[in-house]
Amino acid sequence: MKKIRLGVVFSYIILFIFAFITVFPFIYMILGGLMNFQETTSIPPTLIPHHFEWSNYAKVFARAPFGRYFFNTVLTATVTTVVSLFNSLLGAFAMVNLRFKGKGVIQMVMLSLLMVPGEAIIFTNYNTIAHLGLLNTYIGLVLPFLTSIFYMYYLQSYFGSISTTIYKAAMIDGASDWDYIWKILVPMSKSGLFTVGLLSFISGWNSFLWPLLVTNEDTMRLLNNGLSAFASDAGSETQLQLAAATLTVLPILILYFIFRKQIIRGVVRNDIKG
Amino acid sequence: MKTNQKKAWLYLAPTIIFVTLFSIYPILRAFGMSFQSGSLIDLTWTGFNNYKYIFNDPEFWLAIKNTLLYAVISVPVGLAISIMLAWIIFDKVKHKALFETTFFMPYVTSTIAIGIVFRYIFNGDYGMLNFLLRAVHLPAPDWIDDPAMSLTTIIIFGIWSSLAFNIVILMGALRNIDPNFYTIADMYGASGKDKFWRITMPQLVPTIAFLLTMNIIGAFKIYTSVYALFNGAAGVGNSGTTAVFYIYNKFQTVGTPGVAMAATVVLFLIILFATFLQRKMMKKIGEN
Repeated sequence: MKKIRLGVVFSYIILFIFAFITVFPFIYMILGGLMNFQETTSIPPTLIPHHFEWSNYAKVFARAPFGRYFFNTVLTATVTTVVSLFNSLLGAFAMVNLRFKGKGVIQMVMLSLLMVPGEAIIFTNYNTIAHLGLLNTYIGLVLPFLTSIFYMYYLQSYFGSISTTIYKAAMIDGASDWDYIWKILVPMSKSGLFTVGLLSFISGWNSFLWPLLVTNEDTMRLLNNGLSAFASDAGSETQLQLAAATLTVLPILILYFIFRKQIIRGVVRNDIKG
Repeated sequence: MKTNQKKAWLYLAPTIIFVTLFSIYPILRAFGMSFQSGSLIDLTWTGFNNYKYIFNDPEFWLAIKNTLLYAVISVPVGLAISIMLAWIIFDKVKHKALFETTFFMPYVTSTIAIGIVFRYIFNGDYGMLNFLLRAVHLPAPDWIDDPAMSLTTIIIFGIWSSLAFNIVILMGALRNIDPNFYTIADMYGASGKDKFWRITMPQLVPTIAFLLTMNIIGAFKIYTSVYALFNGAAGVGNSGTTAVFYIYNKFQTVGTPGVAMAATVVLFLIILFATFLQRKMMKKIGEN
């Protein structure tokens, strides 16, 4: 009996150590962003600032156009999410409910494209965008991401669970495909669409390599690129870097805490399928 | 039943157009460019020269070596820790959702932002990590500025970041194990250890194989975390360079897109091979 107890205690200790390691960088980031410069570089390190330096945030906004970065990020993440969701929704509907020649081929091509790493095509896409004269534009930032095979595949499995008899019944009642999509399919898979939307928005928010390639003007930067440029420019002013990092992370973290169940469930469902 | 609803193509049109332009075309283009030299606006045929170039380039081999080492160390270690934590949460803890939420945080947050925090925690002089190490009289290396430490630092950050996804997927798999297995095992007086190795682990094998592939593919693509840790560079003196770093550098900074694309094709083949290997593995497991 005593041995089992010891095992439980030991497990809890391990769990808490790792939970602490996971959370600590976030706490340190928030606290460090409120320290003064001496505190961030003191030995031994300061954990809790003596006085909360809220002015760090004013300085960050004064030094770099973070407001603009926010606007750019929200805009591009929203546009990619809405349009790619719309396109994958239509595609998934066709793949699930319609019969047509070439369906198998399409499915096979899509599945093999899922294996192509984004990093392998991002540079040639840069080439395309440059040729179209779309560097440093919002269109250039979003264009390659206006559809997602991954989300289409995900929605297919979601729509597949909605019985095809419902589709047939709707057709007999004289509904058009368009009616069926918006009046039956979308309302019935609201939670799935919402989760996909959330995941897409988060990955849009955190995107880095693509915007780094296609923008070099400060006014067109997204948050993460602005943040990394700021981190180089602010050089030794650690407290400002941490304040800027907090600005980038906090909105998503709040979104995450509100919708944690949907997000986690969505990721699990997404990926079990592979 | 031989209906052919041509309207399907209408619904698929946006996806097909975008996929053709931004997924299929770039693959073919990358392949083509890997046989061309010159700048982006003036490409000429050069045969296998780009491949010859990268295979003779020590920097390329360093990038591949770093990427492989990173994958081979961070993936199994990260996965082992994840299995341990997922099992503890599943088996022993009441507030499962609380821990799941906590451990998943790094998955949704920006690598760049957290990388900046890690750069600071890892700082050789005033970083929190070295403060703790010195407190217990362990060596306190210069994690960021010592070229010999670059890869270790990248690996630690990589493991930290990988736990989130792994734990959540493993928890999903653990929940799917038929609870009757455990009830029966309890009836026969099986120990916790027995239950873990004889019921849990075999049931987790497909999930672990899946995570292994996902993690390895992710590891081959490592870029952003290195960029964040070392402030835009690949460690001091390029000591922590990775495959994608090499490609980016050759493409954007040096301006030899052909060389970059040759490296891309090689990386792509490695990833494809890893995926293929996993498929084979899964099939074998399925047969048993």
